[in-house]
Amino acid sequence: MLEICNLTKRFGNFEAVKDVSISVPDGAFLVLLGPSGCGKTTLLRMLAGLELPSAGQIVFDGNPVSDGDRNWTVDPAKRNSGLVFQSYALWPHMSVRGNVEWPLKVMRMPKADRAARVSEVLRLLDIAQLADRYPNEISGGQQQRVAIARTIAPKPSVLLFDEPLSNLDAKLRVEMRTELMRLHRATGATTVYVTHDQIEAMTMATHVAVMNHGRVQQFGTPADLVDHPETAFVATFVGTPPNNMVPVVKNGTGFKVGGRHMPLIPPADDCLAMYRAEAMTLSDIEGETTLSMELVETSAIAGRIMVTGLRDGLRLTAIVDRVPEARIGETIQFCLPPLPDSWFGHDGERIT
Amino acid sequence: MADAAISGQGRRVIFRQGTVLKAVVLLLLVALIVLPLIRTVLFTLQPDTIEAWSDVLSGRLSKNLFYKPLGNTLLIGVVVSMACVLLGGFLAWLVVMTNVPFRKTIGVMATLPFMIPSFAAALAWGALFRNDRVGGQLGWLEGLGLDIPNWLAWGMVPTLIVLTLHYFSLAFTIIAAALATVNSDLVEAAQIAGAKGRRILMGIILPVTTPALVAAGSLCFAGAVSNFATPALLGLPVRMQTLSTRLFGMIEVGQVERGYVIGILLVLISGAFLWAGNRIVSGRRSYATITGKGGRAKRFDLRGARWPLCAVAAVILISSTVIPVIVLTASSLAPSSANLFSNWTLHYWLGESDPSFAQGIPGIAYNEDIVRALTITLGLGLAVAFTGMFVGLLASYTTARFREGWASAAITQISFLPLLVPGIAFGAAYIAYLGAPIGPLPALYGTFALLVIAGTAYLLPFSVQTGRAVIQQVGGELEESARITGASFVRRLFAITVPLAIRGLAAGGILIFVKIVRDLSLVVLLFTPTMPVLSVVAYRYASEGFGQFANAITVVILFISIAATMIANRLQTKSQPWLQN
Repeated sequence: MLEICNLTKRFGNFEAVKDVSISVPDGAFLVLLGPSGCGKTTLLRMLAGLELPSAGQIVFDGNPVSDGDRNWTVDPAKRNSGLVFQSYALWPHMSVRGNVEWPLKVMRMPKADRAARVSEVLRLLDIAQLADRYPNEISGGQQQRVAIARTIAPKPSVLLFDEPLSNLDAKLRVEMRTELMRLHRATGATTVYVTHDQIEAMTMATHVAVMNHGRVQQFGTPADLVDHPETAFVATFVGTPPNNMVPVVKNGTGFKVGGRHMPLIPPADDCLAMYRAEAMTLSDIEGETTLSMELVETSAIAGRIMVTGLRDGLRLTAIVDRVPEARIGETIQFCLPPLPDSWFGHDGERIT
Repeated sequence: MADAAISGQGRRVIFRQGTVLKAVVLLLLVALIVLPLIRTVLFTLQPDTIEAWSDVLSGRLSKNLFYKPLGNTLLIGVVVSMACVLLGGFLAWLVVMTNVPFRKTIGVMATLPFMIPSFAAALAWGALFRNDRVGGQLGWLEGLGLDIPNWLAWGMVPTLIVLTLHYFSLAFTIIAAALATVNSDLVEAAQIAGAKGRRILMGIILPVTTPALVAAGSLCFAGAVSNFATPALLGLPVRMQTLSTRLFGMIEVGQVERGYVIGILLVLISGAFLWAGNRIVSGRRSYATITGKGGRAKRFDLRGARWPLCAVAAVILISSTVIPVIVLTASSLAPSSANLFSNWTLHYWLGESDPSFAQGIPGIAYNEDIVRALTITLGLGLAVAFTGMFVGLLASYTTARFREGWASAAITQISFLPLLVPGIAFGAAYIAYLGAPIGPLPALYGTFALLVIAGTAYLLPFSVQTGRAVIQQVGGELEESARITGASFVRRLFAITVPLAIRGLAAGGILIFVKIVRDLSLVVLLFTPTMPVLSVVAYRYASEGFGQFANAITVVILFISIAATMIANRLQTKSQPWLQN
């Protein structure tokens, strides 16, 4: 059980993390997801013990490890957690074996056990053949594996990852994703994983905390986030392609939806209507619920076509079966379904 | 393992992270840098010394005490800094941007003059150009039968030339570094837009490098106005005073408070110019260009001008490096500098005392004073290298790990404060600070400790900068990832930090060593007969007319500086074994 209670971190007057409370069971794969600067890395560094919280507690398996209210903390090394850095932070003057072995030496593990554990994790990560190379002599993906091997060698019960895949190319990233999930099953360690890539979050996580401006916007399973986004931010940040968010404003007796009067009764005067991309269609002619947009993108995805239109800063995406006849730059009609999938208030909170 | 996170292993964090370290470093820096300066100012504000201000600024003597030296100082500063930017900029442009022949050689040679102590060039000038105006030995050119006019032998003109030939290499280093960051894409984009050579130079390269030009100009200005050796050797014999020679003279004759007042004014002037330069640079947007790909810049084709420009560069470089070294060496062997290249003798190096020769002064190898000065100088260099790197590392580690808060900002600002203070004024401040007993602490005047402490403080900007480079190499996540394993501070230091940083540390230490060994302006006031250092001994011999001994000592200093610099360069550039591919 990993619990975070009312955790806050202030740097001077700036609140990087605001009143975060999350708890996940043992063996969970928790992803902290959010845009850059949302506080997710600060939260991770507090979990690792590198930063002291300004307020709130962190509890691993019932044992408090950080308490910002009492200015009390357990040293990074004694909280039984391991951190994989974004830059990998491999010690350049040690070989691959040396990098993996050194933390065990520091733990005073006997020599024979140490050698056995090192070859075990090197095999687990499929890098045994690189044991005597130096970090600058191996590729980025291999360095990544060494960094992970070094972190799991002492068998931490909590594994922390700081955007580990962001320095890899697209193909390698997909492979390492699978590898990390295999590793998670093999070690059974509770894992906290920081990323700004929502695809990584959706594919790997058992639990996701979506963060923005230091706050947790929503905490739940990946399916929760897609099926039932709590805020407009989550609705537009999560999912491929992201959901469409159309502003609705009261105008006289009726309502303007995306700048056009439509026969729609919103729950509030001024709100946002969410439409899923797969619910949108294209139309050849203007109709009661169509919006004319400039066609800006089309791309083939899994046998279907993703079409994106843009007008006055409003961006709509639809998943359709046929490529539209219009060319890029021409006007096409996006047809909204009769009812939106969800309503959000002007402040971004979900209404229905 | 599973429940290692027992609550009993936690600890209370009493202070915020880094508070203790910050406080220690801040106290250290205040004691080393701020207190001497404050104490100097306070000294001049006492009831019986405050008169010194009116004496210097408005009294009957103020014209000679302050305003004439001020005029000379400003003239030197302005002319030298402009000449340095022109010369250094010209050479930097040749090396970085054109296809001039021997580019690499020119680049290396252009950094050398700054390695040579400025009094070496002044002494060499004397050996070549002295005339009979002040008596003593004649220079080589007079010896050849040429009639050297007074204005070329003494005073302002030779001072300007010698200082320019010394400081242009500082300007070169700064401007060349800036030009090297002008991404070749920028130039190519201008070429695609149809701009030709001159247009690219005026429209793209010059504006982008303006901050570097301003920085180079203001640093050369600050260096030239605070230089002591050159105006002292070439100007003092004909009563040309600058603020730094005035400051020295006042303290020598015991008018300490007037000396301090002049020193404070000198700090304010050089500080004001550096500050103004900094304002101009930081007021505008930074053009630091991001170099993604290190694309080969297309070099300007100089066509027919290649060899003529190469010859111009060669004249500048040879006259600023090769000629002084040859002249000094020859003059340390020749009994008369009027006949530099004849009757050579090793007496000034190896001779025993002989009453008929140089008033019985033995050669420098048998001269106890000089041998003692050599040991003290080397010891001082080593000691300052160690203490300087230690304090520099500590300060840069503190500011790198704990960036937030006013304390870190204060540490950075204070550690660069000595840049604003001319060496001779800093020396004066240290006499005011530690020359008399403070409470239970004894007076340190005339002790080795004073030299070490003052040298450490004076070179802190440099050692902090070096320390920062080292920390950047090993700091951050590399150190954090070691911390997470639970390794203690000492263990991290020896297993991670030192192996990664040792070369950078050694190189930085050696450069500090060189700077202190060839320094004259800081130690000239701290010098006492019981605690002699080589540069001051050389200066004394030169001003007493024993040019050969001065030159021989200078050759020794030159040799030590150049050898040490080469070792440092080697250490810095030689790649680390685990980085070899």
